[in-house]
Amino acid sequence: MAKAKSNAATAPNNALRPKRILGLFTRAAGFDMTFFVLLMLILVIGLVSLFSASYAYAYYQNGGDSYYYIEKQLIYAVLGVIAMLLISLVDYHVLHKAALPVMGVSWVLLIIVFFMPAVQNMHRWIPLPGFNMQPSEIAKFAIILLFAHLISLFQDEMKRFTKGYVPFMLVLLGTCALVFLEPHLSGTILIMMIGLVMMFVGGTKARWLLLTVGIGALGVFLMVFVMGYEQDRIAVWLDPLAVYTSDTLYEGGLTGRDIAWQTVQSLYAIGSGGFMGEGLGNSRQKHLFLPEPQNDFIFAIVCEELGFIGAVVIIVLFALLVWRGFIIGMKASDKFGSMLAIGLTSQIGLQVIFNLAVVTNSMPNTGISLPFFSYGGSSLVMLLAQMGVVLSVSRQAKLRTDRE
Amino acid sequence: MLRKKEQTEQTAQQQRVALRRRAFMLVLGIFLCFVLLAANLFHVQVMQQDFWQQKAVAQQLSDVEISANRGQIYDANMAVLAQTREVCTIVMSPKNILQEKTRVKIADELSEMLEVDRDALYKQTQKSTSQYEVVKSKVDKAVGDKFISWANENGLAGVFRVVTDYKREYPLGSMLSTVMGFVGSDNVAREGLELKYNETLSGIPGRMVIAQNTSGDKLPTSLDYEYTVNAVDGNSLVLTVDQYIQQVTEKYLAEAIAEFKATNRGCAIVMDVDTGAILAMATKGDYDPNNYLEISDPTAAEKIAQLSGDERSEAIRQARLRQYRNKALDFYEPGSVFKTVTASIGLEEGLVSESSEFFCNGTYHIADRDMDCWYAGHGQQNFRQAIANSCNPAFMTLGGLIRAPLFCKYYIGFGFTTRTGVDLLGEQIPSSALYYTADTMTPVNVAASSIGQTFKVTPLQMATALCAIANGGKLMQPYIVQKVLDSEGNVISNTEPIVRRQVISAQTSQRVCDMLEEAVSGGAIGNAYISGYRVGGKTGTSEKTETKSEEDKDKNVEVIASFGGFAPADHPEVVVFVMVDEPQTLKSGAGVAAPVARNILRDILPYLGVEPNYTEEELANLDHSVPQVTGKQLSVAATALGSASLSYETVGKGDKVVRQVPESGVSIPKDGVVWLYTDDSELKTTTVPDFSGKTLSQVNQAAKRAGLNVVVSGINTSGGVAKVTKQSVAAGESVPKGSVVTVQFTYENNI
Repeated sequence: MAKAKSNAATAPNNALRPKRILGLFTRAAGFDMTFFVLLMLILVIGLVSLFSASYAYAYYQNGGDSYYYIEKQLIYAVLGVIAMLLISLVDYHVLHKAALPVMGVSWVLLIIVFFMPAVQNMHRWIPLPGFNMQPSEIAKFAIILLFAHLISLFQDEMKRFTKGYVPFMLVLLGTCALVFLEPHLSGTILIMMIGLVMMFVGGTKARWLLLTVGIGALGVFLMVFVMGYEQDRIAVWLDPLAVYTSDTLYEGGLTGRDIAWQTVQSLYAIGSGGFMGEGLGNSRQKHLFLPEPQNDFIFAIVCEELGFIGAVVIIVLFALLVWRGFIIGMKASDKFGSMLAIGLTSQIGLQVIFNLAVVTNSMPNTGISLPFFSYGGSSLVMLLAQMGVVLSVSRQAKLRTDRE
Repeated sequence: MLRKKEQTEQTAQQQRVALRRRAFMLVLGIFLCFVLLAANLFHVQVMQQDFWQQKAVAQQLSDVEISANRGQIYDANMAVLAQTREVCTIVMSPKNILQEKTRVKIADELSEMLEVDRDALYKQTQKSTSQYEVVKSKVDKAVGDKFISWANENGLAGVFRVVTDYKREYPLGSMLSTVMGFVGSDNVAREGLELKYNETLSGIPGRMVIAQNTSGDKLPTSLDYEYTVNAVDGNSLVLTVDQYIQQVTEKYLAEAIAEFKATNRGCAIVMDVDTGAILAMATKGDYDPNNYLEISDPTAAEKIAQLSGDERSEAIRQARLRQYRNKALDFYEPGSVFKTVTASIGLEEGLVSESSEFFCNGTYHIADRDMDCWYAGHGQQNFRQAIANSCNPAFMTLGGLIRAPLFCKYYIGFGFTTRTGVDLLGEQIPSSALYYTADTMTPVNVAASSIGQTFKVTPLQMATALCAIANGGKLMQPYIVQKVLDSEGNVISNTEPIVRRQVISAQTSQRVCDMLEEAVSGGAIGNAYISGYRVGGKTGTSEKTETKSEEDKDKNVEVIASFGGFAPADHPEVVVFVMVDEPQTLKSGAGVAAPVARNILRDILPYLGVEPNYTEEELANLDHSVPQVTGKQLSVAATALGSASLSYETVGKGDKVVRQVPESGVSIPKDGVVWLYTDDSELKTTTVPDFSGKTLSQVNQAAKRAGLNVVVSGINTSGGVAKVTKQSVAAGESVPKGSVVTVQFTYENNI
C-alpha cells in the first residue's frame, strides 16, 4: 500500500518532464510491458479488421463514406488507450470503496433502461449525448468489481455456504434477471459465466458451483426442448442450410432465409477464406451479404480475408493475453488484485470464446461482440479502461522477483 | 500474536496455492475452448472450404459469358450460307416485383409485346423467390430495344435484364442443309459442318466476372471487382460448293423424287474431277435448318400426328435423325454403276479389251447357280457393247478373269474399304461386314461383286471412284471446305487437293471414258445425252433385298436407281452422281437417275465455262431462231426465212407481213414452218395432238399434220427407242398454227 502511494505521489512532481512520464510505463515502474504489447497488437489488428470489414457497409449505408466507422472507432481507441494508461497509474485499491456504489449505480441503470425507448423491442441502451450507454456492460464490470471486493473481504470464509455462495448468487441472479428481461440473452449468459468463474477462482466450494451449473443446464434444457424457447435459433444452429432453403414461415412472418441469413452468410465468408484467405480488403461477403459486418460477425470477415492462418494468429494472441492476465492475477500483491485481474481477463477470454463459437455456428446465434474488434465506441473505451485496471494490478504484482 | 500471524500467513499461503490451482484450471479451460474453436474453424474453413465457397461465389459473382461471334459459312463465291444475328433474351427477376398490380401489368403488356402466353407469364411473375426467369429468348433486337424503353418508362428496369444472345440463320433455307447441319437454339452446334468445324467457327468465348452485392447490383466503382477476358471471334468457312450448282442439283433431284414417288429420299453429288472438290452435295428429304425441329416429310409428319406418348416422341426423334442425315454418306449397294470399276480393272490388267467378245444368253452359270441378266439375252457382243448393254453375264465373266485377289486389290485401291477422308460430319469407316476380303471371297462372290451386288459403298465413295476413272486414274480425297477465313477476312488456310494414289493408268482412264461416252451417245443411256456435250456415264438399278419382309419381297421389289457420269467425256471436268432410293412409279436408273444428271449437266456445263461442241449431225439438227419478218414485204420475208433454213405458209391477200407465228426470236427446228399473215384475218388454230408414247418419227408426222413446230429434248440422233413422256402444251388444247410445242423423250430400257 505504501509502495503504491509513493509511486503515485512522485508523479505530479515530475509531470512536466517527458522522460519521467515515459518512465512510468516501463518495466522498472512495474508496468507489465508484455500484457500491454499483446493488447496493443490485438487492438491494431482489430482496428485494421474493422476498417476492412466496415468499408463496404459504410459505403452503402453512409452515402459513399467508407471511413464512417473506422474514424469513430479510431477516436475511441485513442481515448481508450489514454484512459487505460492513466488508470494503470491509479492504485487499484481505491476500487474497494467503489465496489458497492458501482453495483448500486449499475442496478439503477438496469432499471432505468426499461423506461428508455425500445430498439427492436429491446431495452438495452440509454441514449446519452454522443453515445449510447449499455447498462449491461457496466453491470459486467460491477459484478467483477463487487465479486473481487467480496472475495478479498471473505477470503477466509469462502468455503462457507452462507458467505462464499449465497451473497454472490443473490447478486448474480438479481443482476442477470434484470439483464435477461431487457432482453439480452448473451449479456445474461456472459455475466453469469463471469460471476461463476470468479467464485470458482475465489474459493467457493466446487460442488456448489457444479450443482448450480447443473441446475442451470437443466433449466436451459427444459426451456429449449420442453417449453420450445428459442426453437428457431436452435434449428438454425443445428442445420443452417436446411432452414436457409426451407419454405417454412417462422415467427414474425420471417422466412427461413431471413432467420438463417446471418449464420449462413458467416459460414460462406469463413469457407471462402480457406487456409490462406482472400487477402486483406478482398472480402466479398462484406458487400451487404453479411449484415453489419463491423459488429458481432466481424471475425467471419477476418477469416475470409486472412484465412485460417490469420484467424489462428488472432486466437493465439488472445490466448497469450489471457495467459498474461492470469499470470498478473496469480502474482498480484493481494487477493483483490488477483480477482480483479483474473475476472477482467476471464471476461475477455469468455467473450472471445462466445463470439467465435457464434460466428462458426458452434453454438446458437446470440449477439456477442468480439473485444477490440467489433465496432462500438463506449464498449471499446470500457474494455481498455478495464485493461488499465489489470495494468494497475501488474504494478504491484511480484512479477519480476518471481522471474529472478 | 506471533503464532496468529504465522497462522494467518500459513492460511494466506494455502489460499494463494488454492487460487493458483483454480486459476490454472480456468485458464486451461479457456485454452481448451480456444483449441476446440480453432479445430471447428479448421473444419469449416479448410475441410469444407469448397462447399461453402461454391455457395458463396454463386451469390457473389455474376459471371457473364461474352459470346464470341460465330463465323459465317460461304459458298465458293462468298454467298452467305450461314450467318449469326444478334438477338436478345429477356430475363425477369420476380423477386424484385413488389406489388400485385405490377405483376398484372407485366403479364398484360409484356405478353402482347413479346407474343408470349399471358397466363404462363403471370405464373412466372409469382415466383417471388426467383431471380432468374427467362421470359423469352431469341427476341429480335428491335423488339428488345422496344422492350427496354418500355421497362424504363414503367420503372421496371430493376426487374428485367436483357441479355444479348445470338441466332444462327440460314438465308437459303433447306439448301445444303444435310451438309451444313445447324446450330440449335441453345447455340450448340448439332450437325454437319457446323458441328465438324465447330471449334473453327465458334471462336473462344470471353467472360466477364462482376462482383455483385446482395441486390444483384454491380459494386460501386470504388469497390469494383471486374475481370474480363475478351472473346475471340470465330473463323468463317468458304466452301467448294457453288450455290448455283447446288440449287440446280437440288431442284432436279427433288423433281425426280417427287415425280417417281421415291419413298426413301435421294442424293446427288457434283464433284470437280481433278481436285475432288465437292461442287454440290444434295440430299432431298432434307429440312430447313432455320426450323430444324419441324418434320419436313409430310408423310412422316402425318404418321406422327396419329401417335402419342413415348411412341410419338421416339417417332419424332427418328424422323429428325433421318432428315438431318446426309445420304451421300450412307451405305448402299451400287449395282451396275460399279461396272465402271470392273471395266477399269479388266482394261488396266489387260484381261479384256474393247473388242473382247462376250456372249449372253440371259444367264450366267457359276458353281451351283444360275445368275440372270436383266435382259433376255444380249447374244454376241464385244466389250464396248457389253458396257452399253450393262450385260451382267459379260461382267460376271470378266469377274471370273479378274478373280478375288485382284478384285480386292482394286477394291481397296479405289478407296472403298476406307473413309474418303472428306471433311464432312458422319462419314463412317466401312465395316468389314460390308465387303469381301481376298481370303473369304468365293468365285460366286466375285461374280456378284463384278456387277456391283452383295457389297455396300457410300455414294461419296462411288463418286470419288468415278473421279479417279475420269481424271486419269488419280484417287482424290474429296473436300468441301476450300478456305478458312479469320474474322477480318484474312485467309488462314486454303485446302490443296490431295491425291491419295494412282489407281489406274491414264490410258485405261481414257479408254473407259470413251466406252462410257459411247454408252450415252449411242443411245443405251440416251437419257443422259445432251446435245453439244460429250457425257459419259453408267446407270445402276440395285434391288434392295434387306428392306422388305419375305412376303412383300415377291410382290414389290424396292430398288435404288442411280447414275454416275462425267462430262465432257474427252476431258472430264465434273462427275455427277445421282441416286434415288425406292422410286415407286419407275424402277430404273436410266429412267429415274440419268435424266436428273443430264439436266444438272445441261445447266451447269455452260455455267462452268465448258463450250458446247456440236457434231455435224447435231449442228444440222440445231433449232433455228425465227427472224423478224413482220412489217416486211412478203418477198423479203421469204428470203429471210429461207436463209434461216425455215419454210413458211401465208394467209391473206396483202403483200406485206402484218403478223407472224411464231414470234421472232423463238427457236424452232430446221425446216420448221412460220405462218405469215398479210392482212388482219383471224389466226388459224389447230388442236394439239397427244404425243405421249410416240416415237420421234411419229411425233414429227403428227406435228406436221397439226401445223405445229415441235422442239425435241432428251433424245440423241443415234437411235435407240425413246418415247415421249412429257409435252409442254397439253393434248386437246387449241393453239394458233405454227406454235411451238416442246416434247420430252425418255429412253425406255431398264438398265
